Order: sequence, then C-alpha cells, then structure tokens
Amino acid sequence: MRAVIAEDLALLRDGLARILRAHDIDVAAAVGDPVALAAALEEQQPDIAIVDVRMPPTFTNEGLVAAIEARARRPGMPVLVLSQYVEQLYARELLLSGAEGVGYLLKDRVSEVGMFVDTVRKVAGGGTVLDPDVVTGMLTHHGRNQAMARLTRREREVLGFMAEGRSNAAIAGKMVVTAKAVDKHINSIFMKLDLPLDADDNRRVLAVLRYLQTD
Amino acid sequence: MAREDADRAALRDVNWRMILRLEASISVGIGLLMLIIWALAGARHFWPAWVWFGLAIPLALQVAIRRGLRAPKGHRLLAAHGAITCVLASILLAIWLLAGARHAFWPVWPILGLGVVLVGHAWVRHALPTAREQALADRVEVLTRTRRGALDVQAAELQRIERDLHDGAQARLVSVAMNLGLAEELLSKDPQSLTELLAEARSSTLTALADLRTVMRGIQPPVLADRGLEGAIRALALDLAVPVTVGGEIPGRVPVPVESAAYFTVCECLANVVKHSGALQARVDVGYRGGVLSVAVRDDGVGGASLAAGSGLRGVARRLEVFDGTMTLTSPAGGPTVVTMEVPCELSSPRT
Repeated sequence: MRAVIAEDLALLRDGLARILRAHDIDVAAAVGDPVALAAALEEQQPDIAIVDVRMPPTFTNEGLVAAIEARARRPGMPVLVLSQYVEQLYARELLLSGAEGVGYLLKDRVSEVGMFVDTVRKVAGGGTVLDPDVVTGMLTHHGRNQAMARLTRREREVLGFMAEGRSNAAIAGKMVVTAKAVDKHINSIFMKLDLPLDADDNRRVLAVLRYLQTD
Repeated sequence: MAREDADRAALRDVNWRMILRLEASISVGIGLLMLIIWALAGARHFWPAWVWFGLAIPLALQVAIRRGLRAPKGHRLLAAHGAITCVLASILLAIWLLAGARHAFWPVWPILGLGVVLVGHAWVRHALPTAREQALADRVEVLTRTRRGALDVQAAELQRIERDLHDGAQARLVSVAMNLGLAEELLSKDPQSLTELLAEARSSTLTALADLRTVMRGIQPPVLADRGLEGAIRALALDLAVPVTVGGEIPGRVPVPVESAAYFTVCECLANVVKHSGALQARVDVGYRGGVLSVAVRDDGVGGASLAAGSGLRGVARRLEVFDGTMTLTSPAGGPTVVTMEVPCELSSPRT
C-alpha cells in the first residue's frame, strides 16, 4: 500500500512516515503544503492521502479544502484528514464529497499506533472512520430526525461505534455483548433506516451517512 | 477635499470683495450726486449728510458681519454679534451727531443695553460648554468606563487561562515526566511495571492534549479563524443539544477582535439557552447593514432571563461595549427570549 502525507510540521510529518513505514505502508511522498500535495497525488496516484487540516499559506483549513478538491478530481480517492481539533461541520463537508474512503481523526489518535494503522487501511479500503469526538457530538443530536428517533438507545450506540469505523467484533467488545447481539442491532438499524439490502459494507456507510444528516 | 474647500472659500472672498467695491462705488456716486443737487439748490441746510449716513449703514453692516464671521470657528457668532453691536452703536452716535448734538447724550442708554447683551452672550459662551464639547466629554466618560471594563475582562480571562493551564496540561506533563523518570529506572529491573508506566504516560499526554484543546477553544476557537463568525456559529450550533438554526449572511470578514467578542457572546447566549431556558429550539440570525453588524439569538424557552442574574451575559456585553456595541435582552416570563447585539464595524473582503 502507498500513502502520501501532507503535514507542514516536519516533526509530525516524519513521525507519521515512521509509523507507516514500520507497518509496511510505503510513504510515496511527504509534503508540507496543499500545492505540493496536489502535485504528489497527481504524480504518485497513492492508495491514500493523509492530510493535516491546518497548512500554509493561511494556516486555517486548507488541508480540508485540499482533501475535498482531491476527491473532486478523483472521486472516491481515499483521504484521511488529521487535525489538532475536530468539528462536526468539517466532518459533514468531508462526507459531502462522498462517504466512502473518508477518515477524520484527531491527531491524538495516532498515538494508539495499532488502531491508527488499522484506520489507514480501512479508509484506503473505502471505509468511513470518524473521530469518537465527532461521533459523541453527533449523538447529542439524536431525536432530531424521525428515522433516527425510531432507533433505541442501544442501536444509536452501535451506530456511533460504526461511525468510528469499528468492526462488529470490536463493537461487541466495547458494549460487552455477544457478536450475535451486535449483528441483531445492526440489522435492526438497517431496517429502521430503510437501507437497501446490499453489500454489508456499503450499507454500513449509508447508515453512518444517514446518521450524520440528522438535522 | 480640504484644498477644494479652501479654494471655494477664496473664490467666495473675491466675489464678495468685488460686490462690496461695486456697492461702495455706487454709494459714493449717489453721495456725490446729492452733494451736487444740494449745491445747485442753494447750499442751505446740509441735508446730504443724512443720505450719506443711510448709504453707509448697509456697507458698514456687511463689513462688520464679514469680519465677525472670519473669526476662528467656535467664536464666529460672538464676533459677528460684537461687530454688529459696534455698527449699531456707531449708528446711534451718528444720529445724535447729525441731529446737531444738541440734546442730552441719549445714545448712552441704548449703547449700554447693547453692551449688556453682548457681555451676556460672551459670558454664556464662556460658562456653558458647546454641544460639541459636551459630546466629547460624554464620549471620554464612556471610553474610560469601557476601557476599564475591557481591561477587567481581559485580566480575568488571562487569570482563567493561567489557572486552566496550570491545573490541566501543566500538571499532566509533570506527571508524564515523573512517570518517564521512573520508567528509566525500571528499564532493567522490572519490565512488567515499565509497560504500565509507559501506558500511563501516554494516557496522561492525551489528557493534556485534550486540556490544551479546551483552553485554546476558550481563547480563540480555530474554526473562527478558519471560517469567520458565521461559519463558527454554524459549527457551534452543531455541537449543542438543543437544535439551533443559523440564518443570515455577512458579506465579508468581521475584524478579528469584533469577531471574537461577537462569537463569545453568541456562545454565552446559546449556553444559557441549553442550561436555563428549557427551549426546544433556538435560532441565530446574523446580518450586516449600514456599517453595523447585528446578531440576534432567540429561543422558545421559558423566558425570565435578566442581565443582572446572568453575570455571564453581562461579561460578554462589556466586551461588546469596547467596540461601541450594544446588547439588548427581552425575556418576558413565559418567553420567548431574544438577545440582540449590534456592533458598528467595517468588513474586509472574505478570505478565500
């Protein structure tokens, strides 16, 4: 697997590259600004771009803008956006560019190296992974949407974990229930949200999307 | 601009001088004509003096008023008044003289009256400040008060930030350093506890990061710099437990200090909505018209909020005052509560 990293702080850029290389992910390019990122994506055609939100020249959210633009140029291009802070607003904007192959995480999460590398692989594989902080924020919105209101508290909890990109087994572990119980919850969620009987992965993404559009 | 004004004034002056010269020439002409008529009529009682007197009055009045109005700004009225008084006194004297100075010196009484009025005018001018001075004095008072308020708010903010950093991130980093020191010692002796210590150190750094994030949000939320006031309010609305609709538009970028003050005011208002109002929904409207930024926060809650009770709102109101901003609160019992703030400011073009 090949990744391109865009992060303006050299310390963090090198750290990220080291972690990825240590887990057999090839770092095709590591750049420090959006222009260089666009060039590297064009040239390298990586499996995933890992992009910091705040970059030159204005040091606001050009990383996010660059990620969305990259996905406009190459639909479905997997992008994992990292940031020192997370905003639901940004998560929504990112997901508007398509929900597959999108990740949005606090930089803090990189310290859980194993999980971070898992996330990178999941997003590169077309999965959706949102930071638990974003998901928690979104949980405060439950009940605003009629379809959402039909879910039980447990089901919303499961959906929250799904948005964080966790597998059924991981969700079962977190909620201290059996994998079978989780399966039942998930099926019930799919039904209540009127999601088509499609490939399981796609439905998970759709459920998360539905979940995000609750206002 | 100033130069144009000066040019126009000079032109007016030239025009006026020409007119005056013309008037004077005509007056002299008429005066001479009267003299000739008088001489032809037999040069008896010298009546042309009265005609000359009549011709001189308008000229003298014009010159006097003109002179008076040339005085420095703020003294013009008094100077014109003085000049007219002089002319009137001269007229009275002239009448007395022309009448042969035979009667008692009666002009003394009207001249005295005119003098008293002039002195009265001067005294009033001196004792009472002008409207402009009064406005300036009021302004200074407001500035003194709001500046003190702003400094108080700022000092309290700094104190709060210092305390948050001290009790939060700083304490956590101390514990990380202690754990790492201990880990160094255990490196060879006790690998089992070493793993635990390292995990603890990592978890402490993560909590320190979360603390720092909270502190930074309190100073200046990153999304405000990223997206400006409107975007930051939209982001804030998404994080609240009560559904908040955001409406309106700001056609540019609000100056950073105003943006920050307005944002934290909205934060405080919405925090009150969530904590106290019992509202089912709220609405924030932003707008900019006639050089004034306006933000209104309304909710359908129970009402009864007041500036006295909510010291938080009072604090943010003081931040707005620094920018000559105002905040009004209407919150009848039973609701709805509406907080409106208005801040005069200039917009810059939006950052792209």
